[in-house]
Amino acid sequence: MRANRGTVIGGLFVGLAFLTAGCGSSPGASPSSSPKGSITVASFNFPESAILAQIYGQALKAKGYTVAFKLNLGSREVVEPALERGDIDLYPGYAATELEFQNKGKGEATPDAQATVAKLNTYLNAKSLEALTASGAIDENAFAVLKSGKYGSKTKLSDLTSVAAQMVLGGPPECPTRPFCAAGLTKVYGLHFKDFKALDAGGPLTKAALDQGSIDIGLIFSSDSAYSTGKYVQLQDDMHLQNADNVVPVIRKDKANDEVVSLLNSIDSKLTTDTLVSLNKKADVDKQDPDQIASDWLKSNGFTS
Amino acid sequence: MTFLHQVLQWFADPSHWQGTGGIPHRLAEHLLMSGASVGTAALIALPLGIALGHRRRGGFYAINVSNVGRAIPSFALLVIALQVFGIGARPAFVALVALAIPPIVTNSYAGLMGVEADIREAARGMGMRERAVLFRVEIPIAMPLIMAGLRTSAVQVVATATLAALVAWGGLGRYIVDGLAQRDFVQVFCGAVLVALLSILVELGLGGIQALAIPRGLRLTSAPERPVGYPDSGLAA
Amino acid sequence: MAAGMLADATDPWIRWDWVGRHIPVITAALLQHVELTAIAVGAGLLISVPFALWAWRVPLVRDPVFAVSGILYTIPSLALFAMLVPFTGLSTLTSEIGLVSYTLLILIRNIVVGLEGVPAEVREAANGMGYRPLARMIRIDFPLALPAVIAGIRIATVTTIGLVTVTAVIGQGGLGQLILEGLINDFKSPLLVGAVLSVLLAVIADISLSGLQRLATPWSQAEARA
Repeated sequence: MRANRGTVIGGLFVGLAFLTAGCGSSPGASPSSSPKGSITVASFNFPESAILAQIYGQALKAKGYTVAFKLNLGSREVVEPALERGDIDLYPGYAATELEFQNKGKGEATPDAQATVAKLNTYLNAKSLEALTASGAIDENAFAVLKSGKYGSKTKLSDLTSVAAQMVLGGPPECPTRPFCAAGLTKVYGLHFKDFKALDAGGPLTKAALDQGSIDIGLIFSSDSAYSTGKYVQLQDDMHLQNADNVVPVIRKDKANDEVVSLLNSIDSKLTTDTLVSLNKKADVDKQDPDQIASDWLKSNGFTS
Repeated sequence: MTFLHQVLQWFADPSHWQGTGGIPHRLAEHLLMSGASVGTAALIALPLGIALGHRRRGGFYAINVSNVGRAIPSFALLVIALQVFGIGARPAFVALVALAIPPIVTNSYAGLMGVEADIREAARGMGMRERAVLFRVEIPIAMPLIMAGLRTSAVQVVATATLAALVAWGGLGRYIVDGLAQRDFVQVFCGAVLVALLSILVELGLGGIQALAIPRGLRLTSAPERPVGYPDSGLAA
Repeated sequence: MAAGMLADATDPWIRWDWVGRHIPVITAALLQHVELTAIAVGAGLLISVPFALWAWRVPLVRDPVFAVSGILYTIPSLALFAMLVPFTGLSTLTSEIGLVSYTLLILIRNIVVGLEGVPAEVREAANGMGYRPLARMIRIDFPLALPAVIAGIRIATVTTIGLVTVTAVIGQGGLGQLILEGLINDFKSPLLVGAVLSVLLAVIADISLSGLQRLATPWSQAEARA
């Protein structure tokens, strides 16, 4: 009897393991398709991108498309290849950075959004991808110092040439090699920093590092709501390192039918840089979820009822 | 180029051996933080565990502090420390000290408790004062377990220090975290290899010191083994 | 992030309105956590039992088996997952391979030591009573080793529950996803919920398994009472 008891208990464990394995959720389960087809919307791994992706996706859903979300997928190195492979169909991109990613940093982006998008499309079309009409909303890389800090009196990036060697730069891990990040600061402004600290993409770690003085200058996106508090000084990009980083939907051609295109373009026409700042504030300060923020915005702008 | 080739190239790249992002600096950071954390934890935990064991009191807490410690995920502890202390070395240090304390307390307590009553009686009978009994009899006998606790603690700290890269600290974990962020899987793998090697070296090195620390008269040719879950299992559990 | 401030007006340690609105997310994280743990411990047992029996019966392999599982155990979890990622991707498989590896040392060791702990006199008595080797193993050795085995399952389970949180970094995570969200968004509520539920889960698992241990070894109760 005792041996049986032990065997039974052992068997229970094994059975439980198999049971839960069998009941495992299937991550790639596709929702049942509607006649209008399905679209998978992805975003980069920062809140603004997730909000934009939710805005696009929920609007498409309201028009009858079956929408799946893959938010916070990662940096462009992850998201763009996923689009090429067809793992995702759409993501909210930033025109100039998309272009420099496609041309491997050749430097073709300009402050002219339309020209930048047109050039971008010469690369994308060859991959069966497309960038739609750029929005007026801009979010570009920006570099900030702490107003109450040692360098708080600086106003422009070119002010840093004499002091950069004593400053520590903080940003996302990929910053050192990115043309609009550290690599660009060196190339365009001639700035060589004392050290670089890998933190996050303009997120709480970077801000905390600035607050604590562990970095002297950090990457904080231009549409971040923290700038409106006056705590950080956004250093002016006086030598135009950054270019037209307007929000633009990047989509697979086979999903870009007329209805989708006109819907996304009409959303983009309503987005302004101020919109981005206020959306970010809701995420950063009020801790609202991207889907909530998106659905509120869509409702108040007449895309959903 | 095969993956192995890429890994070897990464290690062969001289830029990976220089500067604040280079292997020597990250390794030094990692060791320094681990050493400081275990050292600080020992300063707190050794007197506590030894005192409790010597007095034969507080056993419930001494044993269960390790069970509780095991139940708290170190990742959560790090992020909570981050919220309280800000970023950088401070939250990492606090979290690591907190994690390092339980194994030292439990094992020192168990070590002292393991000293048989007759031996203590004999020592007192010889005229030794309490302090002498403690330092000249009990602690030497308890040494294997005390060392086991320190060793367990050290290996755990080296492991968790890897995670501390997630809260913007440095150390060898940086290669793994930054590599994951940039999908640079060669960097991820190389960082992992470095960390794995360090942990194994620490475990073996401290094992060697542990063997040396056992008083000659107590060395057994075959150590009795106990299952994991008992303090003297000598295991990082 | 307010360095040095324990709680500020905008982000108290727990916001119940957030919790209320995120019950589905929290539940899903909890279920994923349980699932990852159960698979790891279950698979760990499946692998450990044969190796433990082998190490028990063939003394020559005892040390190598312990050594290999010991090395796997010593390697920090993040490093182990990271070494697998280039080969098995950011997948549940990677997480499970890592999680299972950590259970092996604990389980193998406890099974072997438990079996070795069966007193020689008992075995001899059984042999004397006419038990054939296999029958003796199943009806004498295994039940007597059971307490140590279940102690091992207890420790392996609690350890695994903690390690699952780390897999959030490679895309799974269970409750670790809530902790990661707390980190990325500088948001205390998911952090606290993830941490507290994780500890609760470990405590419940530990208590349940200790209850199971008592169920499986009724003679220890009798001994205690005698």
